[in-house]
Amino acid sequence: MNAPTPVIEIRDLAYAYGRAEAVHGLNLTVQRGRCYGLFGRNGAGKTTTMKCLLNLLRRQRGTVRLFGLDPVRHEVEVKRRLAYVPDYVAFYPWMTVGETLDYLASFRSHWNKDTEASLLERFQLNPTQRTGALSKGQRTQVALVAAICPEPELLLLDEPTSGLDPIVRREFIETVIGAYQEGDPGQRTILVSTHLISEFEGLIDEFSIMDKGRDVLALGADQARSRYQKIRARFTDSAPATDFAGALHVRRNGRELELIANGGGEQIVEQLRRLSPESLTSEALTLEEVFVATLK
Amino acid sequence: MLLQINFKSGKPVYLQVVDQIKSAAASGAMQSGEVLPSIRPLAEELRVNRNTIAKAYSELENQGIIETIPGKGCFVKPNNSPLKKEVRRKLLTEEIDQVIVQAHHLQVPAAEFLNLVRERLALLEERQRANEPPKDL
Repeated sequence: MNAPTPVIEIRDLAYAYGRAEAVHGLNLTVQRGRCYGLFGRNGAGKTTTMKCLLNLLRRQRGTVRLFGLDPVRHEVEVKRRLAYVPDYVAFYPWMTVGETLDYLASFRSHWNKDTEASLLERFQLNPTQRTGALSKGQRTQVALVAAICPEPELLLLDEPTSGLDPIVRREFIETVIGAYQEGDPGQRTILVSTHLISEFEGLIDEFSIMDKGRDVLALGADQARSRYQKIRARFTDSAPATDFAGALHVRRNGRELELIANGGGEQIVEQLRRLSPESLTSEALTLEEVFVATLK
Repeated sequence: MLLQINFKSGKPVYLQVVDQIKSAAASGAMQSGEVLPSIRPLAEELRVNRNTIAKAYSELENQGIIETIPGKGCFVKPNNSPLKKEVRRKLLTEEIDQVIVQAHHLQVPAAEFLNLVRERLALLEERQRANEPPKDL
């Protein structure tokens, strides 16, 4: 009865650009305190979904609730409680980093100056530098700093690392997310959309995979890694042509056999063992491999 | 101590942290009273969510392996397990069963498996002895 209100609740969302349906029939629930991944290829509808959450696009069907509120009717209330970093960040190029942050702070009722100072130092951003002279990575860093200083309840990140080099990505997403969560452990929620899943492997608690405007899979990260297994066997003669119930994909190559199991990995391993293979191994799929296996 | 996370093991990430700290405490790689890294730096180092580390630490605290002293951090507790003997045996039995199943899958025969257990036990005991302060101090 007293189930806590999810921070994000989307039911049967639909949005079309003219005749091109970007999202249709999407369901998504994100509980408080989660770091939630929204995974999908380019064009799967991730950004459209984000924009419907923010009321930057008016949904055409379904319900959207943030903190239990409708972002269409309670736009200001909802936006006070969240921060959004779009996939392409633009600032006034003639403002300095410090001026930009002051300017953005002026829209907020609360701004943590200590967080701002410590992250600027950590990222070695010079507050007197004009934003027009920043690299793409530095601009994203400034946008992320600006997003967490108001200490919102919800952080929406749309493809925050795309177009950045791997070293930069590695560095700062953890730093920012860590700093954000630390302020109120277990209470702050993140929704991050990305197709660079391996970057977020350890950060994500739960995820949804979107394809062609729909959610095709929603799971906890640990659950996914225990459910999806890659099983490899090598036989002395050619690999048997047996059927394996529950195997998603089967690859055969002479004496070798590789299966992807979605649950029931134990039984498949048992079944294979009875065929006396030379070697038999099984390992969990990473989230990226789960993603690929789901959409293949 | 340096923790290692393996996303391909299929084991929940927080449990990997729990088990590694447990075995470090048992082997003497971490000594009683030693401070554990705080949550945020450890989460950043391992590139995992702070929720995961927080969950691991609270699990370790529940199991009586570590204790939290407010404002000071988490510490390894002295090695007098608060669990009753049967409980400890039961916990261990579950773990042993898992390893036996794994050995079966990897086609390691029973005798070889038992030898391996003895080898590891001897190694850990040796490490623990090496970490103990000399008696005559």
